Amino acid sequence: MKDNKNKTLKMVLAVVILAALIGALVLIYKNFSPKPTAGAKSVTIEVVDDQADTTSYEVNTDAEYLRQVMEETDGLTFSGAESEYGMMVDTVNGIRADYNENGAYWSFYLNDDYCNYGIDTQPVADGDHFSIVYTRAE
Amino acid sequence: MKKHGQVVKYSKTALKDIAVSGLMIATIEAAKAALGFLPNIELTSFLLIMYALIFGVKTLYAVPGFILIEGAVYGFQLWWIMYLYTWPLLVVFTLLFKKRTSVWFWCFFSGIFGLCFGALCAVPYFFAGWAGESLRGGIYAAFTWWVAGIPWDIIHCVGNFTVMLLLFVPVKAVLKRCYAYIYL
Repeated sequence: MKDNKNKTLKMVLAVVILAALIGALVLIYKNFSPKPTAGAKSVTIEVVDDQADTTSYEVNTDAEYLRQVMEETDGLTFSGAESEYGMMVDTVNGIRADYNENGAYWSFYLNDDYCNYGIDTQPVADGDHFSIVYTRAE
Repeated sequence: MKKHGQVVKYSKTALKDIAVSGLMIATIEAAKAALGFLPNIELTSFLLIMYALIFGVKTLYAVPGFILIEGAVYGFQLWWIMYLYTWPLLVVFTLLFKKRTSVWFWCFFSGIFGLCFGALCAVPYFFAGWAGESLRGGIYAAFTWWVAGIPWDIIHCVGNFTVMLLLFVPVKAVLKRCYAYIYL
């Protein structure tokens, strides 16, 4: 009887503590994850290809996430595999970077810092400068 | 086995350990491949915990092999550095709490590991940011990377908790029989 009570108590404690920790993480995520800004924004996208040639695009957009901005950008084409994390871009402007095929991948930078999000969840703010760089694995 | 003209004898136990390590790695890799389509739902944590509970320190022989295979298959990128310490840490912590028998304790333990996975993996970003910029840059890089992955850590936590709750008792019984069959 006492044993059963102890087991129930342990079970409740385990679930409650985990739920509390999850709640705390949700709060941190809500407060500290970057929020997209609505309304007209001016964004620059720069593509550095496999020959280190750079093409720049200036876009005025209402889009909230990078993927939408890329889709709206005239002259910029891209494709990739859809995954649970969003699109994993492997081809930009017809140039394919596949780690398994040629040991290369497309790196995404926001204002010179490596993007922490996939293109589907990367928020966009006015004045942002994105770089999409063909990168060879070392 | 001959080495420089001498006959080197390996004990039966050592040979069994090598074979068991191979089986551990094979089952982890198979489980990983089978559940690869589910985001952050994995059996690697569960299996490493269970192996450490039943086979003890011997599990640590399998971990480097597993990490090496992961790198060879998926490429030695930054995530691979994270693997170098996260999985051994999980086994070491499991060994520290080895005497705990409650299924709820192990559900909690496995859930906490899932919840902390992103924070553990953010460590290389701290050092990369620190080296590339400043201490503040390192903290910022690690923190933003960790925050970005919080939803996935929560899925990882719930997945680990549920898997442990469902499989702890049956898998423990099977592994105990395996241990007895191989070593006793």
